[in-house]
Amino acid sequence: MISPRPALSPGFLAFRPAGSPAASPPPSPRPHAPPPLSASFSSSAAVTAAPDHTAASSSFYDVLGLRPGASAREIKAAYRRLALAVHPDAAPHPSAEDFIRVHAAYSTLSDPDKRADYDRRLLLSAAVGRRRAHPVSLGRSPSFPARRSRRTWETDQCW
Amino acid sequence: MGLVFVRCEAVVQRRGLPGRRAVSADLFRRGGRFILQPRLNSSVLGGDSWLSIVVKRGKTSRWCSDADIAIRSTTSKGKRMAEQFYTVASDSETTGEDKSQLSFPDVAIGIDIGTSKCSVAIWNGHQVELLKNTRNQKGMRSYVMFKDDTLSAGVTGGAAQESAHEERDILSGSAIFNMKRLIGRMDTDEVVQASKTLPFLVQTLGIGVRPFIAALVNNMWRSTTPEEVLAIFLLELKALVEMHLKHPVRNAVLTIPVAFSRFQQTRIERAFAMAGLHVLRLMPEPTAVALLYAQQQQQLMHDNMGSGIEKIALIFNMGAGYSDAAVAATAGGVSQIRALSGCTVGGEDILQNIMRHVLPNFDSLYDGHTVDRIKSMGLLRIATQDAIHKLANQESVDINIDLGNGQKVSKVLDHSEFEQVNRAIFEKCEKIIIQCLVDAKLEPEDINDVILVGGCSKIPRIRSLVLGLCKKEVSYKNIDALEAAVSGAAMEGAIASGVTDPSGSLDLLTIQATPMNLGIRADGNNFAAIIPRNTTVPARRDMLFTTTHDNQTEALIAVYEGEGEQAEDNHLLGYFKIAGIPPAPKGSVEISVCMDIDASNVLRVFAGVVKPQGPAIPPFIEVRMPTLDDGHGWCGQALAKMYGKTIDLAVLPKKLQP
Repeated sequence: MISPRPALSPGFLAFRPAGSPAASPPPSPRPHAPPPLSASFSSSAAVTAAPDHTAASSSFYDVLGLRPGASAREIKAAYRRLALAVHPDAAPHPSAEDFIRVHAAYSTLSDPDKRADYDRRLLLSAAVGRRRAHPVSLGRSPSFPARRSRRTWETDQCW
Repeated sequence: MGLVFVRCEAVVQRRGLPGRRAVSADLFRRGGRFILQPRLNSSVLGGDSWLSIVVKRGKTSRWCSDADIAIRSTTSKGKRMAEQFYTVASDSETTGEDKSQLSFPDVAIGIDIGTSKCSVAIWNGHQVELLKNTRNQKGMRSYVMFKDDTLSAGVTGGAAQESAHEERDILSGSAIFNMKRLIGRMDTDEVVQASKTLPFLVQTLGIGVRPFIAALVNNMWRSTTPEEVLAIFLLELKALVEMHLKHPVRNAVLTIPVAFSRFQQTRIERAFAMAGLHVLRLMPEPTAVALLYAQQQQQLMHDNMGSGIEKIALIFNMGAGYSDAAVAATAGGVSQIRALSGCTVGGEDILQNIMRHVLPNFDSLYDGHTVDRIKSMGLLRIATQDAIHKLANQESVDINIDLGNGQKVSKVLDHSEFEQVNRAIFEKCEKIIIQCLVDAKLEPEDINDVILVGGCSKIPRIRSLVLGLCKKEVSYKNIDALEAAVSGAAMEGAIASGVTDPSGSLDLLTIQATPMNLGIRADGNNFAAIIPRNTTVPARRDMLFTTTHDNQTEALIAVYEGEGEQAEDNHLLGYFKIAGIPPAPKGSVEISVCMDIDASNVLRVFAGVVKPQGPAIPPFIEVRMPTLDDGHGWCGQALAKMYGKTIDLAVLPKKLQP
């Protein structure tokens, strides 16, 4: 059913570059122009989009205006508040882009498994940044709340 | 108000454009005024302004200027002129431009076109108001009666005393009904096949074209289309609303079944355009109910949003033609549709099952569509319908009816028999509810309220089935089963038109989801879903595909919608070709297909080569779907015949994606 295809891509390139044409959003799917939003549009992106170094400045928590430890209830409330502000049906200056971004953040953070994955990677990328100053890796720390029920290949390749 | 409908010819000239065209039009008489409406298929969309119109009827032709169109009937020396002398005087004081500047609030109305009944509601500035017709009905029978050159729709039901239509007349073959089941369906569709037992003529050739539909006029079958019938009905409905509001209506929010394909949606939008209405939003019926529920919950708990407590409702809607289920999570006036599912079973199927049950030779009896047979078919239909209604409140019911021609039906029908006969229908209802719960990842215990709406929600078995699946004792009380959907649509109409209410009762939002998978044909005849069902909209998803042959320079993108695993089990929405793919070994090219649904539910498909890159790569292609009009039953086969597998695509396995 799935046509075999030679392995072209190096396995470590877990994430599409931000300017990847495949993630380039309409209405102007220009293969070379970086989209305003990162790779979070591919069908699996809500699960796998990573807080890599470029996206670190706008994590899903930032999108929802929350701190990383926010409760599920706060996440839901923030989503609804933002939906009323940016959803094309409700907003005075509608933007489907903004709503898609808010929803992508919500769909990851509202699912406990996806959120745990995401949190872990968020921490890791922060740790990578910090390691340059203090060579301490949190990533493999036994105290790290490794609550992952599902492993996705992209996630696995992050490590 | 009695609308009379006369066909005539009009010459139109579009403002600002040279040249005149003749179009056929329909002239209505409403009270003392005449309304000219361009006829269906005359490539004229309602709501347009026209510079001039000549109405020709018989040997008379008169000019009128401005065409939105108020045409006065004139009296000559106090005597009414003969019918064919339509003096076509314009409302001289209002040119088209002036009209558009008139300061009426252009708030979209809410319309619920049911298979059996229809209702219309408006936002009156403070609340939703359902309009009643001259017979004081909020639920108006959905049909159009054809008589000589007069057509009248169920809105007024032949409001004039002498022409009031009884159910008997509607079932005489002269009226077309069940438009919502027939619209946008091909003659191979089982729903169309099942419609052949209706009193009017539904003829099928079984080759994937639209069925032939005709009404009996003066002992002749006169052909029409579901779109035309619906448009005529909508014209009356629009006139009713305009009478009430005293200003023109342009926009409408329409509720549709979840199971409606995108192709059907375009057909229904076409019917609205023919009637001069722009469809601002199409809302799946249960989501309109969800909006009403969200408003009620918001009023109950004013400041709930901060706390983020959500209430989860399962909405089950079963009308005459369709059943829908939805799970909505509501808080702070925001209703998020978590899951949707629907199927094409409804009261009509229950009715047909019971008719077959009480009269075993039902099908053979009504083969010929002779006048006699239509009459007895009508009698049986009325008696059976009555019995089903009674059975909602009593243990058993007698069906005693003389069908003429020596045919008699005498039968006692009780609940267990009723449930036995309709078991397959109840199973389908169960299936969509369970699918909804699974898709929403919810257990029955998570449901706060079960909302039952639609005419068939009164059937005891349906109630117990839905409540049982959700482990609830009682259903949600504060919603009228027949008015909820149209009320929600009117509210959405107000919101989408930008109306705000000082009391905050319109600070509402429905976050919609897609009811069906959208994808393309790939890996042979498989269906690769790019936007899976229950994806929140607006949405944008992409997927990578690759070639299946070495040096393949072209690839076919065939876009489908549906739940089937095989492409051909789904609705074909359209197709296009990517050409100019650089020659390369199979599997090495990357083709991105991106699907985008905007807030107005418009689907666009973007596709192009993303690897290799370079100046030799052709630009992306953007196609708005659906592109197919009629005969889409054929297109898939024709494509297969023409191209075989030569321009096929394969899904690029995720693990190999960069």
